[in-house]
Amino acid sequence: MRKSGMAEDARGFGRHDHLCWSYTSGEEFTARAREFLVEGLELGQRICFVGAENADPLRGVAAIEAALASGAVQVIPQARAYPNGEVVDPADQVRTYATATQEAIDAGYTGLRVAAEATPLVRTPEQLNAFLRYEHLIDRYMASHPFSAMCGYDSTALDDHAVARLTAAHPTANRPGQFRLHAPADGGCAAELSGELDLYGHDLLAALLECIDPRPTDGELVLHAPELDFIDHRGLMVLAAHAQRHDATLVLRTRWPGAARVVSVLGLPHVRVEAIA
Amino acid sequence: MIDNGNFVHPALFYRSDQEYLDCLVPFVTDGLAVGEPVAVAVPGPRLDVLREGLGAAAERITLLDMTREGRNPGRIIPRVLRRFADAHRDRHVRIIGEPIWAARSDTEYPACAQHEALINMAFAGRDVTIVCPYDMSTLSAEALDDAVETHPLIWDSERRYDSDRYAPEAVIARYNRPLADTGPDDAVLRVGTPADLPAARRFGSDRARVLGLAEERVADLELIVTELVANSLRHAGGPSRLGVWRENGHLVCEVRDTGELTDPLVGRRPAEPGQTSGYGLLLVNDLADLVRVHTGPGGTTVRVLFTTGD
Repeated sequence: MRKSGMAEDARGFGRHDHLCWSYTSGEEFTARAREFLVEGLELGQRICFVGAENADPLRGVAAIEAALASGAVQVIPQARAYPNGEVVDPADQVRTYATATQEAIDAGYTGLRVAAEATPLVRTPEQLNAFLRYEHLIDRYMASHPFSAMCGYDSTALDDHAVARLTAAHPTANRPGQFRLHAPADGGCAAELSGELDLYGHDLLAALLECIDPRPTDGELVLHAPELDFIDHRGLMVLAAHAQRHDATLVLRTRWPGAARVVSVLGLPHVRVEAIA
Repeated sequence: MIDNGNFVHPALFYRSDQEYLDCLVPFVTDGLAVGEPVAVAVPGPRLDVLREGLGAAAERITLLDMTREGRNPGRIIPRVLRRFADAHRDRHVRIIGEPIWAARSDTEYPACAQHEALINMAFAGRDVTIVCPYDMSTLSAEALDDAVETHPLIWDSERRYDSDRYAPEAVIARYNRPLADTGPDDAVLRVGTPADLPAARRFGSDRARVLGLAEERVADLELIVTELVANSLRHAGGPSRLGVWRENGHLVCEVRDTGELTDPLVGRRPAEPGQTSGYGLLLVNDLADLVRVHTGPGGTTVRVLFTTGD
């Protein structure tokens, strides 16, 4: 079972988990990355630290020292991983990590775990939009492959809107967000939606949908929403409008009874609500 | 009586079942004879009388219990009258709508009278006849007086004539009554920004559960709180005050703000494709058992009631 929700620290994450960590100091990010990576080693994963010149920030922990000696630690400097100012190619980036994950498996590890400092990749709106799409695609990859990642963002260098979008696009994050839209834990649908959606989140939802662009299957954009606690009519209309851009019907799977009430009362077109247990 | 292409809206004053049937059975069967769709939305006991009087013809029309479909008068125009009329836009449509009966409470009545007045605006120019029966043997003099102002035509057992006191706007204004602030002090939450919406919902649903709202209606309350508070944030541009308390067998959910509702038909137009606003109050009208509104330059109060029993 993938973790979802708010994270107090970077501990306890499994082989498929995806964590967003917005930090206010480099020390904070390093400390959390160390927690995250050490547990990856305990799970038998190869670990990779992206965005540092060398492994020095990780040193001083016995497990990491041992892994450095055995070759279980990779360090990729920011300049090599993502040249500054680059707009990420989402599909390309997913292929890169898929290859690295397969290499780790081939080398006898249980998978790959990455802690990446990704701030330089989301500084401009163009970069951010592309990166959000990438975050969603890699999240889908993670859900079904032994790859887990912690994405670090310097919240002092980004505006609140950017941080809110990044937070909402991850299944787990260290910041509270009103809602989350991320890859489904078990495939079979376009995305998983949780939290609450009202006037406060409509613009964020619309912006996020445009970037991550979840796609329908067989004319249906299925959103699995077992932890959706509220959605108002405008939230439903924003979701339905996205489905309609792909000529699809929105299917919202939720246990919150209000969604079906809204659709029935307003006769919202191109929307179906399915009750889940 | 039917003036082609124009909306016809008579009040029918009746004293007995016989007078009821004498007028309404031909109204239905004449319509059916010329291929006009007919719907009847009257209280259950009236429905029984009419069904028996109509015999086989009852099978060919839409029959609705107004005490259920129209429990909240604000729901009747979009969900009963326009839903039926809009489904048959190519023909003249006949509807019998009886929204006022003796058991309507003093709390409900102002919304009923406003509803009757608003039908005139909602159907202006439409090729529809809506006849509204009034039971003279049980209704108050006030209700019968108001009907003369809310209906341009009056039908009784002897004749059909123009109302000489037709003044629907005056009725709407007359029943736009201040709603006394009756909630206890701890029943109120101030809401200032959209970020407060989850807290407003939590406040509403927590209090509603404690005060006895059935669990299956809590989602309705959450939707209503959200729509009302969001409307205040969007349109009134200032803070609003949410109150939830219990009063006379009802759960009351009220939002006060500093804005003014200027569109008398807001929340009473059915949702249409491409429409981007007006859904909020439509939803509130549909989910609530009663909606009362007071609005003016000094602010707006929307008070929603849920029946909980005692």
